[in-house]
Amino acid sequence: MEYDADVIVIGSGALGNNAAYELAKQGKSVIILEAGKSIPRWKITENFRTSPRKNNYNDPYPNAATAPTSFAKDYIENTGSFAYLPGMLKLVGGTTWHWAACAWRYLPSDMKLKSLYGVGRDWPISYDDLEPYYCRAEEAIGVSGRSDEDQSGQGKKNFPPRSKDYPMPSDGINYMTNRMHDRLGKLGYRFVQEPSARPTNQPYDGRPACSGNNNCMPVCPIGSMYSGDVHARHAVKAGAKLLTEATAFKLEKGSGNKIEAVHYRNANGEDKKLTARYFIVAAHGFETPKLLLMSDVANSSDQVGRNIMDHNGLAIQFLADEPLWSGRGTVEEACIVNMRDGQHRRRYAASKHNIGNSVPNMPVAQRLIAQGIFGKELDERIRHDAARWVDISSMFETLPSPSNRVIPHPTKKDALGLPTLSIHYDVPAYTEAAKDIVLRDYRRIAAGMKGEIVNETSEWQNHDHIMGSVIMGKNPADSVVNGECRSFDHHNLFLATTGVIPAAGVVNPTLTGIALSIRIADIIAREV
Amino acid sequence: MIRPFFYRLASVAGMAFCLSLPAMASAGNSHTGDASNPPVIVQKNVVAATPTNGFSSELERGAYLAKAGDCIACHRGNSVTAPPYAGGYAIASPMGSIVSPNISPSKTAGIGNYSEQEFSRAIRKGIRKDGAYLYPAMPYTAYAGLNDKDIHALYVYFMQGVAPVDEKPQAVTKLSFPFNIRLLMSGWNLLFLHDKPFKNNPKVSDEINRGHYLVDTLAHCSTCHSPRNFFMAESSRRYLTGAAVGGWYAPNITPDETEGIGSWSEEEIARYLKTGHVNGKAQAAGSMAEAIEYSLRFLSDADLRAMAAYLKTVAPQNLTGAKQSRFSFETRTPVHMVDIEPVTSRTAAAMSDSGSVDGQLLYENACASCHGRNGEGTADHFYPSLNHNSATGGLVADNLIMTILNGIERKTNDGIAGMPAYSDELNDSQIAAIANYVLTRFGNKAIAPISAQQVADFRANKSDPALLMKMMPWLLSGAGFVFVVIIILGYFRIKGLFHRRRSN
Repeated sequence: MEYDADVIVIGSGALGNNAAYELAKQGKSVIILEAGKSIPRWKITENFRTSPRKNNYNDPYPNAATAPTSFAKDYIENTGSFAYLPGMLKLVGGTTWHWAACAWRYLPSDMKLKSLYGVGRDWPISYDDLEPYYCRAEEAIGVSGRSDEDQSGQGKKNFPPRSKDYPMPSDGINYMTNRMHDRLGKLGYRFVQEPSARPTNQPYDGRPACSGNNNCMPVCPIGSMYSGDVHARHAVKAGAKLLTEATAFKLEKGSGNKIEAVHYRNANGEDKKLTARYFIVAAHGFETPKLLLMSDVANSSDQVGRNIMDHNGLAIQFLADEPLWSGRGTVEEACIVNMRDGQHRRRYAASKHNIGNSVPNMPVAQRLIAQGIFGKELDERIRHDAARWVDISSMFETLPSPSNRVIPHPTKKDALGLPTLSIHYDVPAYTEAAKDIVLRDYRRIAAGMKGEIVNETSEWQNHDHIMGSVIMGKNPADSVVNGECRSFDHHNLFLATTGVIPAAGVVNPTLTGIALSIRIADIIAREV
Repeated sequence: MIRPFFYRLASVAGMAFCLSLPAMASAGNSHTGDASNPPVIVQKNVVAATPTNGFSSELERGAYLAKAGDCIACHRGNSVTAPPYAGGYAIASPMGSIVSPNISPSKTAGIGNYSEQEFSRAIRKGIRKDGAYLYPAMPYTAYAGLNDKDIHALYVYFMQGVAPVDEKPQAVTKLSFPFNIRLLMSGWNLLFLHDKPFKNNPKVSDEINRGHYLVDTLAHCSTCHSPRNFFMAESSRRYLTGAAVGGWYAPNITPDETEGIGSWSEEEIARYLKTGHVNGKAQAAGSMAEAIEYSLRFLSDADLRAMAAYLKTVAPQNLTGAKQSRFSFETRTPVHMVDIEPVTSRTAAAMSDSGSVDGQLLYENACASCHGRNGEGTADHFYPSLNHNSATGGLVADNLIMTILNGIERKTNDGIAGMPAYSDELNDSQIAAIANYVLTRFGNKAIAPISAQQVADFRANKSDPALLMKMMPWLLSGAGFVFVVIIILGYFRIKGLFHRRRSN
């Protein structure tokens, strides 16, 4: 049989493109399908600058009827107690266009949650299996960070273990972090720097060094921060073919339980079919299970679309008693990690406090204007408050539960005539149990900085880290893919998405997703 | 892009067999892709700051001289992990790739069997041990001026200070006819190789003599900065007055106040050679960035000062009649926010449409984040100002266009400078629009407008050598005609001899 390609990759985000690039580099013929368009950075920057909704991170990105983003009206319907609404984009490069580039590794214990703490699930692979791919992923996307810190917060040295240092050193610790560490360290809070997928002090892979535009979300105007469009270009230069405005809607089964073809619909509503030896679905943590369910494939376990997780979050803002100058450098600078691991995970969720480092003029000004402050006083107060603004947000671990679920909407369709998304999500009790611990921390931290609390929310927030939706495991009866990210049902179908992640931890899973994707490419390259 | 030497075309057709390779012209460009991967060099206690006369051994001095000669730029391998001087680096030329040979002291793959005399002949006369002629991608016309002492030190270094690599580069130099006939170089050498060692000028200071020696031999500045005649030999009459180099433009560096670098202090020239930039004047890109990255920044301060001192004594030349120094252009009209951030349509179609050729809009969104709305750059000049900048105020826009297309990555003693390449993100019309906006607002507007076709030519690297290549069939037929005439004349002459014999 003649195939259109060795491998078809569905989705041109960071994960799909890294897999596509690795395969194309090894001489495999690769086609990438992308629902959205290819849009240059300058255009997104223009869209941002002219946007009247600067704090809506999806706003600079076109929301085409034929490639709706998650904020398209009615695209995501929520039926559970929590409105799960991540900022998903559809364009070449995917949602890493506005991801803020926190490039963490999981801890070895995150991947043995069940055996160590008796809750949730273990990964079917170990940290050691993934470690070399973490190194390759860090090199692929250019991560800067400190290799000498205990990122687990348990008073160890250099943890998790690394066989290579970060490709680039961190660009140092800013004034705000230093001051907060000086004052809160005494109370026992352990700080680590966020590893960040952006070059520091030097160009990397054609991207300039970060110069502190502090605009990682919604767009890095100079392309310093890594985003998936980088590897779309690399893949195309290595020989991959990129088809835009091509929304995959059906995977077709062939003989021997293999996936034989993908059907996609272009922006004119025309349907096309492409065949390949192998398929990688890298279409986002929600869209991937949707495509599998629409195609009635890979679901003998009935777990496709179930077990969805996020890092549900809380936040606090306060005005410290001294100027700290939030906003120097990247928007994510440092974290407090005391609760990232430990025996408490037997009883309640791990958590991590991110010390936000955005230029806070917008929320500061909004608050003051709402208080009726105008004119000269407004200018002075903006200067005063913005210098002292502290914004801490926390990410909580969640556990997989089959009832937390995404499905193709039973009735609603988008402009292409394809189903929209329906989500049911309740924050797990395990996560709820950690809430008071974190709120208590907030008050201690604010008091430690003699802060005036401006806003403290006990409402759960989205953190856009979709996991679990096509869960990975050892047992085909309760898992969608095995430790290779290969479908138990279809030997030639791989899923490159953070949706495979079975234990959530408390860190952005993107780097892990990229590491798994590079590993998928290696596995396929040996077989095709 | 047509340079004056093409005007002499008609008179030289019959001399086509002397044609040399215009390889140097394209060599610089081919380097640019690799600048992020500086090769590891066998360091034998080379201390950059050591004055040249303060070396503890000939070997150490030879290592320093090899740096000064920038041998590694071409004789590196193709990968970052390749050992130093393993060769294999392909220097693109329109006639084909010239692959640099292994010059490590391997007896099987390198130059380990070269005697000092043979080594000297290769460097100063362009002739290999086996007698074959080198192409002038190897700057032997410049190295010809090296003194015997330095040749000796270089020989000691290459024989004892470099690890032998017993593997020849896999690729070989393959040039199109007639350039593949190395013997042609003998004719070219007769005309253009002046292989006399450098002589000190007793009328000037030792420092200026030292600088002159370095500029003309090891640093081979004129290789790029002097224009070339039709045979691609340097014009001594227009020494250092500027020339195109594989898309980039190596500008006039004579001390002329308007066209050259007369406005630079010696300290600034030396600092530029070390760091690759002088704020408010110029920054190195392309092959100059490489020359600094691989070679010049390792020279001692005394040597860099000497080069600067000498350059200030070169005959100033203003060949184009330039009236304003390329470092002095600036904008006087700041833009207003309302003009550059208009209310725009929020439809998906409008937000996806990246076809604009509005130079201001493109500049604002692709360039201004770093270079500033008014081209002012950043206060610390980490991102250079586009006002008072050689790239925007020059006589040609080559370097501006090449920089937008290919970006910059320059590692110097002052850190690594980088600008992304925009060849993927912007089309030819858009780059032309940005160039015209930049030239008109911040630079020499007299050289605008740049056309999309010009940008396309730079993108395709269609520079002078390509033109020369276009002339090749014609030149060859001309040469062939001359050859036939010679044979016919020779026939009649021989016939005449026979005739005379018979009549005797």
